[in-house]
Amino acid sequence: MLTFWTLTHIVKEFFQIGLFSFGGGYGTLPFLYDISQNYSWYTPQELTQMIAVATITPGPVGINVATYAGMKAGGVLTALIATTSEILPALILGIAVSKLLKEFSDNFYVQSALWALKPTSCALLTYVAIKLFHQNILTNQNILIGGILFTVLLTVSLLKPKDPLWYISFTSVIGIILVKTGLIF
Amino acid sequence: MKKISISDIFLAFLYSGLILLGGGYIILPILQTELVEKRKWITDEELADYYAVSQSLPGLIAINISIIVGYKLRGKRGAIAGVCGITFFAFWAIVMLASIIANYTSNRYVEGAFWGIEIAVVILIISAIREMWGKAIKDKGSLILFFIALGIMLATNISPAYIIISSILTGILWKLTERSKGKC
Repeated sequence: MLTFWTLTHIVKEFFQIGLFSFGGGYGTLPFLYDISQNYSWYTPQELTQMIAVATITPGPVGINVATYAGMKAGGVLTALIATTSEILPALILGIAVSKLLKEFSDNFYVQSALWALKPTSCALLTYVAIKLFHQNILTNQNILIGGILFTVLLTVSLLKPKDPLWYISFTSVIGIILVKTGLIF
Repeated sequence: MKKISISDIFLAFLYSGLILLGGGYIILPILQTELVEKRKWITDEELADYYAVSQSLPGLIAINISIIVGYKLRGKRGAIAGVCGITFFAFWAIVMLASIIANYTSNRYVEGAFWGIEIAVVILIISAIREMWGKAIKDKGSLILFFIALGIMLATNISPAYIIISSILTGILWKLTERSKGKC
């Protein structure tokens, strides 16, 4: 059941994402992973599924995932509260900064902060990648087939990058074929 | 010129949100077509400025830019119309899908599809990291910060919010020191 305490935690966590995440949709993932470690709203595996679903649905990925996380944590109302909490800091800051615009993005302090924030956000996302690599590939019950699929996809992404939708559709078809042929599960 | 209505702003961003598929940074070309070319509400230069600010602000880039454009066109109500428009389909598509998926996760084939997709997601994140890396690691200082942040994350279970706050302070102090050294 959705208690008052759960609700305050949801507002706090998603407001925090809106206020502290940098680098767009994927920049929210370190925070969402952190939530999966501290609350029982969703597991890291469910987070992986949310990212995939967010990629194939319209709209900003960060909103998709916030909505999904809210749905997992409570339901439609919780999803609405989570999404609104995530947008709120942007609404306040966006309106405040609209008057400054170039002055803001060219400001010495903003530039200096961003100079440090970019590698930091990149590091936070790398941390998520390491954790999910460990969970989805290294501790996969079909580590051999999973490892081969991962290596093939990584090679493709390095040599001839494809649209995110391609990776999702390709791997889902492979997954279904593997179940059908009895190679996994 | 006819005044742009609140509902026009909502609809323009509603449509942009609908065709915003697959994540990544495709919001810019979409808004270029919808706002600059089709509707002529803003110029290319204005859009470029708004985009730069949206990237400098925390949160989602598409959300930030919808707020700034909406605000520039019709003030606070315009900002709310913009953000509601761009989030509309993102929200309802997930609300519908989440309930459908919950009913099928015990199906063997759905499970198999997700088995594959979970591997794809790791690849998507690695691709995002590579893209970020190119924009983020510009000198020795940023490389050092990358490894410090990663090291702290791996060694402790500190909240990413604290890492971000420390990073902002470090960046400002670092650049202030550099500037004062340069003056000597």
